[in-house]
Amino acid sequence: MKRRFFVLVAIFCLVLPSAWAQAPQTASTGGQPAVVKVTGEVLTPLTLTATDLAAMPRTTAVAKDKQGVPHTFSGVALSEIFNKAGVTTGRQLRGENLAKYLLVTCADGYQVVFSLAELDSSFTDRVVILADQIEGRPLPAGTGPFRIVVPGEKKPARNCFQVTTLAIRFAKE
Amino acid sequence: MKRHYRRYGIVLATGTAVIFLAAAFRPPHAARRNPTPYTLSYPAYFGNRINTTDDNPLTNEGVSLGRHLFYEKRLSANNSISCGSCHQQAHAFTDGRAFSPGFDGVFTKRSAMSLCNLLWVRHFFWDGRAASPEEQVVTPLTDAHEMGQSLDSSARKLRAIHSYAPLFTAAFGSDSITPDRIVRAIAQFERTLISAQSPYDRYIRGEYQPTVTEQRGLVLFYTNPDRNRGIRGAGCGNCHSGPKVFNETYHNNGLDSIPTDPGRADVTGMDYDRGRFRVVTLRNIALTAPYMHDGRFATLQAVIDHYSDHILPSLTLSPSLKDTANRPVNVQLTPEEKADLLAFLRMLTDSSFITDPRFSDPFADAGHHTKTDHHIISE
Repeated sequence: MKRRFFVLVAIFCLVLPSAWAQAPQTASTGGQPAVVKVTGEVLTPLTLTATDLAAMPRTTAVAKDKQGVPHTFSGVALSEIFNKAGVTTGRQLRGENLAKYLLVTCADGYQVVFSLAELDSSFTDRVVILADQIEGRPLPAGTGPFRIVVPGEKKPARNCFQVTTLAIRFAKE
Repeated sequence: MKRHYRRYGIVLATGTAVIFLAAAFRPPHAARRNPTPYTLSYPAYFGNRINTTDDNPLTNEGVSLGRHLFYEKRLSANNSISCGSCHQQAHAFTDGRAFSPGFDGVFTKRSAMSLCNLLWVRHFFWDGRAASPEEQVVTPLTDAHEMGQSLDSSARKLRAIHSYAPLFTAAFGSDSITPDRIVRAIAQFERTLISAQSPYDRYIRGEYQPTVTEQRGLVLFYTNPDRNRGIRGAGCGNCHSGPKVFNETYHNNGLDSIPTDPGRADVTGMDYDRGRFRVVTLRNIALTAPYMHDGRFATLQAVIDHYSDHILPSLTLSPSLKDTANRPVNVQLTPEEKADLLAFLRMLTDSSFITDPRFSDPFADAGHHTKTDHHIISE
């Protein structure tokens, strides 16, 4: 009886991990929740979910669409995300740290770059945000769930959609 | 004293003779030289964001071996097909089919991609699942319905072909034939497939004056349409931008309302990637029919008709193909505009690329492959 019990426990232990291992694959066919990864020259790499962003200090930014119509977006300032991840900002943004940049990668492979100084409140009053809402509603499919909004930029090319990764890098030249 | 000199003389003579003989009869590998670095040549306007790796530096000998392996049918399970069967130079390394038969006659799920300027590609296959040519090469070689042979089997078969040992020695410093070296050599060859001698290149360099229709097509290609301002444009350059005529991005280009092939979503598991495929280069596009990941369009004319008139709405349709009201932008080009666009696309054909002997089948004239080899596949 005891032996049978141990056999059962052994089978259970063998089967369970493989069931776990399969779980993500099953989930992937139904679509996974979107996240934004913060990687590279950071002290704490982050994987931000919609819930994480909702819990962070929020701000708004206005940007025009292709037709020149202004819209109010809300989300989290990139500088907030940088502070959470341990990126060199503010007083630390000097010396070699001025050779750092942010590489934004989107789901469709689109990439844009900002220098860290462009995003830092000690250099500029412009606040670039990672937005998750437009006019108080979630971003529409096609641009959301997360996008960059750069207020006051003449061309909207860096207001990129479906952001998946914020990578802080050193220019290595 | 004299005897001493004589003894030294004999020792010296014997020593010299031994050295001489050793030199004369030394095994061939002792004479080997390091492989010569391969000089990649490409125009400055392609930029230097190239996909190379320190692990597999390009060498003349490595590239040459890669070329032989690319056309080596014995890398397939029944010796019937090589990489070059589905990637034929005359078709800019495609095969003129929507789907390609593997060694067993079973067709691929997606259309064979053109191999052209891969040096600037950072995500391979239609869904971008491989990050390097090294990673990419393994799939067609080992897929159960493509070439259908493990890399170990391929290495074993090549070891039995005496001509390969010197090629591997020249490329990698020893005659050891391994799966890893097979992959590296083919990846090296793939990186050298550079096309930059089309009329469009000569135009960029200021050496070619486009015809009137080509010039109009060029402007249409790169102009975004704006109905409000009466600006005509096909807006192709949003995704096929710059001299390389592609962006390294994925888009749903409005082929289906409900995509039958998940495309990029197969790799990421994300709903917003459903029906997205990699934007491919339009270089040599006139040579690579049929078009799209499933080869659904037989002609370039049909492709232009699609982007002009038949883009279908869907949840993941590319923002570049939608207006602000989220409707598909069907720009409805006139027949003349379509003809102009076609003329521009034909400017991208590089006749030297498809005849360059450096990229050709080294076995073609040697009778290495019997003609019957080509008829093994059931079609």
